[in-house]
Amino acid sequence: MNHNVIVTLVVAGIAYGTPLLIAGLGELLTERSGVLNLGIEGMMLVGAATAFWVSKVVGGPAWFALLVAAAAAMASGAAMALVFAVVCITFRANQVVTGLALAIFGGSIGLSSYLASSGKLTKAAGPHQIRALNVLGLKGLPIVGPILFHEDVVVYASWALVVLVALYLYTTRLGLHLRAVGEQPQAADSMGISVTLYRYTHTVVGGAFAGAAGAYYSLALTPSWSNGLTAGAGWIALGLVIFAFWRPGLLMAGAYLFGIVTSLGFTLQARGVTLPPELFAALPYVMTVIVLVLTSSILSGRRLGSPAALAQFYEREEH
Amino acid sequence: MPAIAARGITRRFPGVVANDRVSFEVLPGEVHALLGENGSGKTTLCKILTGLYRPDEGEVHIDGRRVHFTSPRDAFDAGVFMVQQHFSLVDRLTVAENVVLGWSPHRTFRCRAREIEAEVAATSERFNMRVDPSARVWQLSVGERQRVEILKALYRGARILILDEPTTVLTPQECEHLFASLRDMTASGASVVFISHKLREVTAVCDRVTVLRRGRTVGAVDIAAAGADPRALARLMVGHEVSLATKDPLVVGADAPVALDVRSLGVSNDFGRLRIKDVSFSIRRGEVLGVAGVAGNGQRELAEAITGLRSHTAGQVLVGERVLRNGSPGDAIAAGVAYVPEDRMGTGLVPSLKVTDNVALKDFRSPELSRGPFVSPKKVLARTRDLLDRFDVSGRPDSTVRQLSGGNAQKVLLAREMSSNPRVLVVAALTRGLDVSAMESARALLLEAAGRGVAVLLISEDLDEVLDLSDRVAVVYDGRIMGIVGAHGADRDGIGLMMAGIEVAA
Amino acid sequence: MRLERRTTTPPWLRVVVPIGALAVALVLVAIILGASGHNPLSTYRAMFRAGFTDRGALSATLLNATPLVLTGLCAVVTFRMRIYNIGGEGQLYVGAVAATAVGLALGGRPSGLVIVAMIAAGMAGGALWAGIPGVLRAYVNTNEILTSLMLNYVAGLLILYLIFDSTSYWRNLTSPGAKVYPQGKMLTSRGWWPAWHLGGLAIPLGFVLGAGLAVGVTLALQYTRTGFQMRLVAGSPAAGRYAGIDTRRLILVVMLLSGALAGLAGASQVGDFSHLLDPNGLEQAMYGYAGIVGAALAGFEPLAVIVTAVFLGALTNAAVQLEGPSFPDGLVGTIEGTILFCVVSGALMTTYRVHRRASDPGPPEAPAEAITSPVETSLVDSRAQS
Repeated sequence: MNHNVIVTLVVAGIAYGTPLLIAGLGELLTERSGVLNLGIEGMMLVGAATAFWVSKVVGGPAWFALLVAAAAAMASGAAMALVFAVVCITFRANQVVTGLALAIFGGSIGLSSYLASSGKLTKAAGPHQIRALNVLGLKGLPIVGPILFHEDVVVYASWALVVLVALYLYTTRLGLHLRAVGEQPQAADSMGISVTLYRYTHTVVGGAFAGAAGAYYSLALTPSWSNGLTAGAGWIALGLVIFAFWRPGLLMAGAYLFGIVTSLGFTLQARGVTLPPELFAALPYVMTVIVLVLTSSILSGRRLGSPAALAQFYEREEH
Repeated sequence: MPAIAARGITRRFPGVVANDRVSFEVLPGEVHALLGENGSGKTTLCKILTGLYRPDEGEVHIDGRRVHFTSPRDAFDAGVFMVQQHFSLVDRLTVAENVVLGWSPHRTFRCRAREIEAEVAATSERFNMRVDPSARVWQLSVGERQRVEILKALYRGARILILDEPTTVLTPQECEHLFASLRDMTASGASVVFISHKLREVTAVCDRVTVLRRGRTVGAVDIAAAGADPRALARLMVGHEVSLATKDPLVVGADAPVALDVRSLGVSNDFGRLRIKDVSFSIRRGEVLGVAGVAGNGQRELAEAITGLRSHTAGQVLVGERVLRNGSPGDAIAAGVAYVPEDRMGTGLVPSLKVTDNVALKDFRSPELSRGPFVSPKKVLARTRDLLDRFDVSGRPDSTVRQLSGGNAQKVLLAREMSSNPRVLVVAALTRGLDVSAMESARALLLEAAGRGVAVLLISEDLDEVLDLSDRVAVVYDGRIMGIVGAHGADRDGIGLMMAGIEVAA
Repeated sequence: MRLERRTTTPPWLRVVVPIGALAVALVLVAIILGASGHNPLSTYRAMFRAGFTDRGALSATLLNATPLVLTGLCAVVTFRMRIYNIGGEGQLYVGAVAATAVGLALGGRPSGLVIVAMIAAGMAGGALWAGIPGVLRAYVNTNEILTSLMLNYVAGLLILYLIFDSTSYWRNLTSPGAKVYPQGKMLTSRGWWPAWHLGGLAIPLGFVLGAGLAVGVTLALQYTRTGFQMRLVAGSPAAGRYAGIDTRRLILVVMLLSGALAGLAGASQVGDFSHLLDPNGLEQAMYGYAGIVGAALAGFEPLAVIVTAVFLGALTNAAVQLEGPSFPDGLVGTIEGTILFCVVSGALMTTYRVHRRASDPGPPEAPAEAITSPVETSLVDSRAQS
């Protein structure tokens, strides 16, 4: 088959998969601590709106504006996640309903839209965008050139992030404690580890990642603003974390796979395939359902399953 | 100088004094047994010694110094560790990861598998507690998991190790291995407190024994000096108590038809471990068969298998002539098996629902309480009022079960089960947590059911209760029936020995 | 500070806490409004007028409240059992599709027949769409939150396709306006649902149906055998099994019922309001998600859902009326999300009592009554026990 099609698919897959990967990594960390945060979609949208707004408003060179915009997006995501953490961890609220609240609050009829109208964000592209780099000048190489050497800085950062998260989880003491907290908080607590602290920090970090993932939409992918532009990516990221069995490496593979599926419609249409666009657009969602069904049949044994204490409240027996 | 000493420890909970001026000391290099039945206060005492509870009165001394523990962390720092019956292990992590969790001599940031596995291997070599440090805990047998728990303590330099009923979950070979390791540990100067109800093991591995009963120390015995007389220990443990006023159990004729027949039953627990091994017995109409034994010897699995809440892996359960379908609570209910479960407030009753709803819990489909697809509130209310009246329950039909006292809730449960005209009634934990008058009512109700011809299987940790209410008593130990004896004029000492795992010559 | 589980929740608390949560939410949103240059008081005043007191406002509010009653009931029926059907949105869409098809096909028939057929079709469509996550959850134990949610997006794309990218039965291909911008085919007047007029107030059929179903659900929960099983399993799944109930079938039945309610909301949108399939209108309204907010605010009590639906309907109505440069977009979602946050935080108070000192007890060796079962309202974490 034609190289070009494959390369185009992979490049598009990486592009669309990157926000899924980043948001997914954040949620992976959150869920590893035993907290289920369903509000990713809300945090991503608010992050996207925040980033776009800040990028239009901040002066200075492009890299500076973009950096500040990304930081603002991460901060907004972190703030929302902090509220979530307080309500769920300290007030013991039901995590599912609270996550929904977060999604509605930030969603396309909520705060992100509010910010957009306040900041007069439109479909017109902003003054700064994240552009693809030309690493070592090698972007012209056949096949590997466009894929490995012609990505933007966020993509490279996400690759580093996958490695860092994996190292964190599996080779550091803190990562070990985290895994214990998510599996058996009672055991972790009995060994002197603060369950509450780990849950709070990892939920907030998860929120920051979600905000950054949202920023990628408005600063790189689209790159502008339209209401609800993430189109459910936050929810897909949740499915991806399950599909990846809570492991960073599999998450990356899954994210890019979904990225390819998402971009399939555009790619094929560009090549003249005439099927209704909605069919292609529906593919990622249908795939998520299929993937979830498959994983739940495999997950019946607890070997591969979720962090055992996911979404369960923990409190040390009073004495 | 004792390694650890408790002096005059008193600890109260609402309605009960768990420890009443208990004193107890352990010498360095000693394996000291803490012996007693359920309710004797041994677990509470150890939780105080390890910082989980604070005593109301009394002192704890370590190496002669007085200590105040406010959390388990303080106890860790003082070198006191407890290995509980329910392990605090993270299944999905490796042995090494579990052992080093939360603490390291180096306080490093990095935690590479190879390094920690080497460290843990070194510790396990030193104390002859062999486990593969790279294995994941879910892969391990229960005995190996226990070794991991003990390794946690040894890795942190424990000087006083408390083991709570360590052998309930071990095979005989694993027991021997454990005893050998304990001797190695004490050879290095550490002390071990060995909580148990199993006399043979106590006499085999311990140097001295302190016996608790109903929250008090009743004796401290030096095994070597006194010679190992299990009967004397059994008597100390079980005692001669004054029983509650009860009726004599009925005497049942040998030609009464068999209502419940259990044949070669084998039942596994949730982890696949066989908890009931080849158990057979039968109960006639109107007979009460008591099942005596310390908790954790398979009683729960037995009750759940008979009532269909758990599948059995071998054997059959028959009610009359009918073989019950494996693992089907509905079939058991249809066959006339009533069940008063241990978990009163989560399984037997729904605390958030009203008394009326709870009364209709199993029966709501029957024509007596329903009409077509509708449940008739009038009929349910009538039955509820009738039950509350007949069984002397104080409470309103429309209050939620959570609002009732423990005793009244239990009465509601009993009332419902007994009034469903069952053929077989399985009762676990009849009077646990009830005050005296509630206890009397519950016992009377049970006897009345037997009087009406119901075959009763009474599972209880309270030997007195079993002896008072049963016609025959089966003693269960480690999933097997050690023997079935008549309740009248039973030899308490003999039963005590069976409960503790010692075969008694017929 | 120590929290102790209450044995009973006084009824006044059950009403005061959601109202308190609502008040707190409005204050918080007022802060957001103020921080972004809007005057909160005048905004709220304008909203109140547009929602309740202006001429025709109350009727418009009821029209907006109609789908919310039904999607609220959709959530109530499942959330009480800790089954999280978030697919009300998609089930609504599919119900709308089914009802429109039937309404168009039966165009010339008597009005009564058409309307009844639309109601039935709407409920069937919604039930079908909910049946997918229902079967998956009941029999394969697949997480219903994500599956029902993904199907929302699929259903949303379906209705867009039917009107914008196809020449389907639902699309208007003849009228001149429709050639310029895609529109749905309009139902004949036989398919327009009636409304009752009470002194200037128009009460749509859908609202009446919704209110009736709220009563019906309350009665069913109390008096039918299925309702009894639902209450039982909601109170304690272990007790459900102990009582010999087939929990898998129950889960499926509950999901189907829930979907039927949302599907009826979709049928009502077509019959009471748009009279054609309007994808953009449906997708912008997000009635499915708003229904969940209303259900939570109502403490998952069916009758209270009627009240909260009217409130949220007023909110949505006001946002539509006031839309313009001076009125911020996204206020509806912000308010709804904040309300839900506050309600869910407030649930703490109905379930726990606060004690000042960390006094005992811990369990003695043979534990006395361990109250371990989950809570009635599903808003506090089901494992949160003391």
